Amino acid sequence: MSFLTLANISKTFGATVAVADFNLNIEKGEFVSFLGPSGCGKTTTLRMIAGFEMPSTGIITLDDMDITYQPPNQRNVGMVFQAYALFPNMTVAQNIGFGLQVRKTPPAEIQKRVEEMLALIHLEEFASRYPYQMSGGQQQRVALARALAIQPRVLLLDEPLSALDAKIRVELRLEIRRIQQTLGITTVYVTHDQEEALSLSDRVVVMSRGHMEQVGTPYEIYNYPTTEFVASFVGQLNLLPIANLDRTARSCTLAGQPVHFEHSTDRPISDTPRLAIRPEEFWLGDGQGRNLLRGRVETLIFLGAIIRVRVDIGDGVLISADLFNARSLNLPRVGDEVLVSFPVHACWLI
Amino acid sequence: MLLAPMSSRLNTETVGIKRDAPQARPDSSRWRNWLGVTPFFLFTFLFIVLPSAYLLVGAFRNNSTGQFTLGNFLGLFTPEILSAYWVTIRISAVTALGGGLLGFMMAYAVTVGGLPRWVRTTLLTFSGVAANFAGVPLAFAFIATLGRTGMVTVFLKTILGLDLYDQGFSLYSFWGLSFTYLYFQFPLMVLTITPALDGLKREWREAAENLGASTFQYWTRVALPILMPPILGAMILLFGNSFGAYATALSLTGGFINLVTIVIGSQIKGDILYNPGLGYALAVGMVVVMAMAMMIYFALRRRSERWLRQ
Repeated sequence: MSFLTLANISKTFGATVAVADFNLNIEKGEFVSFLGPSGCGKTTTLRMIAGFEMPSTGIITLDDMDITYQPPNQRNVGMVFQAYALFPNMTVAQNIGFGLQVRKTPPAEIQKRVEEMLALIHLEEFASRYPYQMSGGQQQRVALARALAIQPRVLLLDEPLSALDAKIRVELRLEIRRIQQTLGITTVYVTHDQEEALSLSDRVVVMSRGHMEQVGTPYEIYNYPTTEFVASFVGQLNLLPIANLDRTARSCTLAGQPVHFEHSTDRPISDTPRLAIRPEEFWLGDGQGRNLLRGRVETLIFLGAIIRVRVDIGDGVLISADLFNARSLNLPRVGDEVLVSFPVHACWLI
Repeated sequence: MLLAPMSSRLNTETVGIKRDAPQARPDSSRWRNWLGVTPFFLFTFLFIVLPSAYLLVGAFRNNSTGQFTLGNFLGLFTPEILSAYWVTIRISAVTALGGGLLGFMMAYAVTVGGLPRWVRTTLLTFSGVAANFAGVPLAFAFIATLGRTGMVTVFLKTILGLDLYDQGFSLYSFWGLSFTYLYFQFPLMVLTITPALDGLKREWREAAENLGASTFQYWTRVALPILMPPILGAMILLFGNSFGAYATALSLTGGFINLVTIVIGSQIKGDILYNPGLGYALAVGMVVVMAMAMMIYFALRRRSERWLRQ
């Protein structure tokens, strides 16, 4: 039996279905992310694990114990909130020690634990500061330490980095993963940021409109998306209209130009199939794979490490190709005719 | 080809304007802004600064000779006036506590308590009106309901057999006046404490619960300490509100209850006790008490706002 199990979970608010038929097993020490757009039900699911929402149907078990209707203050589940939720009337040390204090832990033990937590988040010198005297990133570290101080069975993080600026976000992301791995704590992380989910998680649950779209490792989610939603939500994707589809020969035409593809039978195909290709699979010139398209450069978008080239391949079909911004890159100019190639295994039908 | 010279000329003209620095606002808009707030400063000067200065000067001036004197302030230390201050402070404290508690409970019910939205709207609208409903109309309203022949008094006596006045209640007593003051005190508490209760974040409660706290622990260790400065601040405001009330007490009790405001009135415009200098000294004493109350209020509010800053 898994450490944390969500079986047939659903949640409705009036006529609105927030979560439907949610089934997930999480192993001890695993880091699982719920990834999806706003309103997909990821936070509601997390709140059901925390006990702030009751499921309309289904059972939640933690360490073989049914916690579905257990009050939040008896679950021993730590939670980190998006807006930190530090108690403003308490110092950092008091915030971290709060959970132990309400459990009537001896003061000496509280102090020892607080010091351990402060060392873990590298904020030893901030013990006597108030939350308003700290930056957002520091406050969120304290919130993490506060949640961990009670030695929770599961750590829940509800978009903990979304209120922070980009640089701090990346730093704290690494910090969270380091702490999680150090403590080996089972963690459920909610985010709408695919980069966060892919870089942090052992497994990612992609959600859309209250449903689980796909569960898998970051590698599986990115490289083998099983639905159109996952394919388009995680990473950039070219979804291109095709004609003359020959399933046996695994070929079709794209803007009148022949294309060969690979297709795995476990991937469902819609009634009006389209060809899916990641932008980074393209290569300018004819050196890459069997498929070759001819087109004209429409725009060049500079994204720092990557340059996105949009190529018009005819019939109004535009493809986006991402090229690494190496110094040796010989960039075409807008209006230039170019050849774009990509391997057969890089594209699939959706 | 023909367009080239024209475009060159346009470019030159564009360069002529200093586009890299934002242009300062014309000076004329500055004095217009000051003109907008002139009525406020004029009002403050005419009806706050000038009367206060007049009071202060009058309090140190002999009524008949016009010479400087401390006699008016020495006159404050008579048993009658000290008793007036004591009664006024008591009634202000009682109504601040009673109104504060009642108002807090009502504000709690419509904010944290989760009552339907329309209850909140109704309560806040009523409070907005009732907090400013004092003086003769309020006194009359209470006389008409809880006076000796008031509707409620008669109803309780005839229908339920309960004679309030036989039980020791009197609208014209200390407690009767305190009860009447509650009518404008608790709405003021509702109006001042509702924003503070709205400021309590749901996440604080959830974080506390998540860390193992009971509802009682959350309130005693998190919510009440956060709310304490605004609660105390609001109560001080209520204290000051009651401390300065005059018309309601005068209309209701006809001067039987010895409040500072009533004593001031009788010293300034009375036929028998006419002593404006003493009246001014009494008023200065009130200003000092009110100023102290306001200073405590602002200090507590600043502390609370600092906490709530994120």
